[in-house]
Amino acid sequence: MPCVFPISLDPARFDALAEVLAVRHQADLFLSSPGYPGETRSFIGVAPCAELIIEEDTGSEKIKEFAFGPGGPCMGFLSYTYGMSLRGVNSEKKTEFPYGHLKKYRAVVKYDAASEGLHLSGEEKLCRETIQYIELIDNYLNKELKFKPMCSEPEVSLGRAAYEAGVAEILERIRDGWTYQLNLSTRLTWQSHDLDPLALFLELRRDYPAPFYGYVRSGAYGVVSSSPERFIQIKDGQVLSQPIKGTARVVGDESEAYRSLVDSSKECAELSMIVDLIRNDVSANCEYGSVRVEGHKFVFRVDDLLQMYANVRGTLRSDRDCVDLLLDAFPGGSVTGCPKQSSMRIIEELEPHTRDVFCGSLLIIEDERNMDSSIAIRTAVYDDSSGQLDYWAGSGIVIASDPGLEYLETMAKAGKFLQSESK
Amino acid sequence: MNILLIDNNDSFTRNLEHLLATAVDEATVHVEPYANLQGLSLEGHDILVVSPGPGATADYPGYARVFDSGKPVLGVCLGMQLINTHFGGSTDRLPGCVHGQAENIVFHDRTVTVARYHSLYCSSVGRELNVTARNFQGVPMALEHRDRPLLGYQFHPESFLTVGGEQFVHHALRFSHLA
Repeated sequence: MPCVFPISLDPARFDALAEVLAVRHQADLFLSSPGYPGETRSFIGVAPCAELIIEEDTGSEKIKEFAFGPGGPCMGFLSYTYGMSLRGVNSEKKTEFPYGHLKKYRAVVKYDAASEGLHLSGEEKLCRETIQYIELIDNYLNKELKFKPMCSEPEVSLGRAAYEAGVAEILERIRDGWTYQLNLSTRLTWQSHDLDPLALFLELRRDYPAPFYGYVRSGAYGVVSSSPERFIQIKDGQVLSQPIKGTARVVGDESEAYRSLVDSSKECAELSMIVDLIRNDVSANCEYGSVRVEGHKFVFRVDDLLQMYANVRGTLRSDRDCVDLLLDAFPGGSVTGCPKQSSMRIIEELEPHTRDVFCGSLLIIEDERNMDSSIAIRTAVYDDSSGQLDYWAGSGIVIASDPGLEYLETMAKAGKFLQSESK
Repeated sequence: MNILLIDNNDSFTRNLEHLLATAVDEATVHVEPYANLQGLSLEGHDILVVSPGPGATADYPGYARVFDSGKPVLGVCLGMQLINTHFGGSTDRLPGCVHGQAENIVFHDRTVTVARYHSLYCSSVGRELNVTARNFQGVPMALEHRDRPLLGYQFHPESFLTVGGEQFVHHALRFSHLA
């Protein structure tokens, strides 16, 4: 029999609970830090009991059958590589990493950091066990994190010269009209046997809060996401996407960085293009006349970066569901470029690595008209079997881009991983 | 009114669909991918709209039957360049190309704010076509055929950066004697 318990717990104790559940019950963690425009409820999926591993040709019907079937919510991720097959972009590159992985759980913890309210539902025995952890939670607090620092230099798929050459090639493609904006990424790879990806996740979350942290296990892989960006939220059919474009590093005075961001015609054009793209991508499944832009060029701070974003809203058509909208809009436009299919083909040509979960989405589907999802940027994947840690960073290239500066912006986004690796 | 919107693999086509559907009373907008153009029936549609898209006019053969169908046609961005090419005009790289920026232009004696997204432009204008708007650098922003119901916008009426995008749909309908 499913049972439901409301409990109150402060954020530090909630994180301690998340760790205990991940260690003892293979829990997947979707944790949101408060105080950001994308702030949302946190979810912990405890003890997975069903899964759907997405393959290249998995269709929407199969995803709906799993997501909307009994026992919810459904949580997991879709990889960028799945987005390539959805958008008809072919690839010769091989990857072992799954196209996506969705799960259901024996119990689910929902947590609202603002009210400190915790809500537990699922199988009675597991709920009682979880309550016992909560009662003894102080025993798990302030433990030393077990993250093992690594000092080795990463192997980089596109080093400075190659990245800058890639930007120069993209500028030519822009001049020929094949793309207006394109997100070019590089991959950093560390060899690190015995790394504990959960400890890395919890340490990053403590030191660098952001609204879309996620830790998801998939076979030998541990996905560690510290994303600041929402892809699509649907709440009772009301659609919200919050694309981020435009980055300024804060050095000293934040207001100076703010002005340099919102007064930059280059950064504003980058955001505008993606806003038009997101409008398009949600429109396929939204009511006519419902799609609108609110708060264009809003700014928030995450780590030492200011990020510009907009709210794109719409109303889900009554004859469509959230999986229809998600799959038609996937992968998120802010990490492909515009026009999407043409830009994705150029990305595939110019990037030597596979993106795997990077630029895909972590997601929670509650029912046909309720879901939330992130853009999986600032995201790493650790492979237990090979001891390899992959991390990707990228930047939007437009006609006004300077190859050297774009490389520096890309590395700035890798900053927190580079810092934690060298601690 | 039945509107056929031909999608040149673009990422703004749905914006254009929503604009057409909201600007025109009792409109039915049918979106068809460019891949289906060959053999596509144009019958039953009151106006044909040719979408923006990546690449250049030479990458999109097969539009002659659309422009010679006698039906009203509105071309947006690449769509306008395709009309221009059909009448012998040419398209080239635009020095200092512009994407995602709004600009004021004069359109039929009124100053309007329109969104620009284009790497290429109509460097020479085809026969029988009039340039009805240019930007401050002289770049053609709107074309109209002298005696056939064919018109094009280089700018993007469907962008959220364009102020009052519906007016450009209304103009197209008046120009085509559909309103």
